[in-house]
Amino acid sequence: MSETANRSLLTRLPIADSGRLTKAILVIALVGTLEAMYLTYVHYHGLGGLLCFGKHSGHSSCEQVQSSSYSELAGIPVALLGLIGYLTILVTLFIRGELGRVAGFGVALIGFGFSAYLTYREIFTLKEICEWCVASACLMTALLVLTSIRYLRAS
Amino acid sequence: MASRKEQKEQARAARLAKEQALAAKAGRTRRFQIFGGVIVAAVIVIVVAIVVSSSGGGGSGASNPNSSANKANYTAVNSLLSGIPQSGTVLGKSSAPVTMTYFGDLECPICKEFTLTYFPQFVENEVRTGKVKVDYRSFCTATCNDHSQALFNLQQTAAYAAGKQNLFWYYAELFYHEQQDELSDYVNDTWLSNIAKQIPALDFAKWQKTRTADGTALQNQVNADAAEANTLQIDGTPSLFMTGKKGTQQAEGPNNSLPDASELAAAVQAVS
Repeated sequence: MSETANRSLLTRLPIADSGRLTKAILVIALVGTLEAMYLTYVHYHGLGGLLCFGKHSGHSSCEQVQSSSYSELAGIPVALLGLIGYLTILVTLFIRGELGRVAGFGVALIGFGFSAYLTYREIFTLKEICEWCVASACLMTALLVLTSIRYLRAS
Repeated sequence: MASRKEQKEQARAARLAKEQALAAKAGRTRRFQIFGGVIVAAVIVIVVAIVVSSSGGGGSGASNPNSSANKANYTAVNSLLSGIPQSGTVLGKSSAPVTMTYFGDLECPICKEFTLTYFPQFVENEVRTGKVKVDYRSFCTATCNDHSQALFNLQQTAAYAAGKQNLFWYYAELFYHEQQDELSDYVNDTWLSNIAKQIPALDFAKWQKTRTADGTALQNQVNADAAEANTLQIDGTPSLFMTGKKGTQQAEGPNNSLPDASELAAAVQAVS
């Protein structure tokens, strides 16, 4: 596909301009930040997860996932890593020029990749689904799409 | 016909347009190169994170001792065991006339099912009342099938180290409560430490020291268990043996199924 065709594909997307793109990224990253803050708080303070459907031996599936070996990476809660990721994406929105756009895309890509891995672990290893974690994975997916469009559309 | 001046301007405009097109193309090429570079860098970061997570190098690979789920586990275990004497691997009064010897593997899912489903009522009815004491023995089944004897030794000696503080049953019960898929590599040193950290009565530093200083003795205990299991020709876990004044018999449900509380009580009766 030629670059011209690439450009015309991007301009046909319903997002009209980079301003609206930036606002969409801002809103999604803020939602993700709040969710990651909650999950980080839960990790350190041991509160039960909200709106978790599965029940196993009296515990919700969220609690099972949050207490699993995959809830931490090198001793750091993955919820905290997610929080850092969302905050970094927010910060990149305030960096003018290509650096901000490419940094936002890079962080969203890393977040998406690791979220995909954690979702795989939930389904195939732990056999438990944490709705909060899936929601975060969806937010990261949306951020990846929007930040990549934002980067490629910039002239 | 255009004048010479107009021709010059047209040529200049064409040259500028060509230069702009070339610059735009170069800019787009550069942007796509950066895009590709960022993708490669991100993939490297993701792969490293996955390797660390999968290796359990999650260092703390970790059953989080502060999670509400694990606090609830401790509450459940404490309500089951509180007030019952423990000595080493023995749960119950030393004067109990019947002994149930429990051969188990802490990673065995059937042991988990037995321990969480049928064992609590047995403990309430038979152990707390002083009729039976339970003595744990290790036998490597699920851990050896899916992992290694070395991992079995690591987790079993960790549990026996808790037994040196007469808290073995707290450790084993918490392990079973927080047991994960037997195929996953969730057990590592940090995970074992986090089980220990969930037991408020356990002196963690002393537990760690026991694992190191008494490592050989703890391993000998595991080896002795294996020898006893071999003598008894055990081929699975949990394997439960009731011993009383009338002798010893294996406690099982129909067709080698797990014995429920009434079947365990009947086995107690048979040897008493």
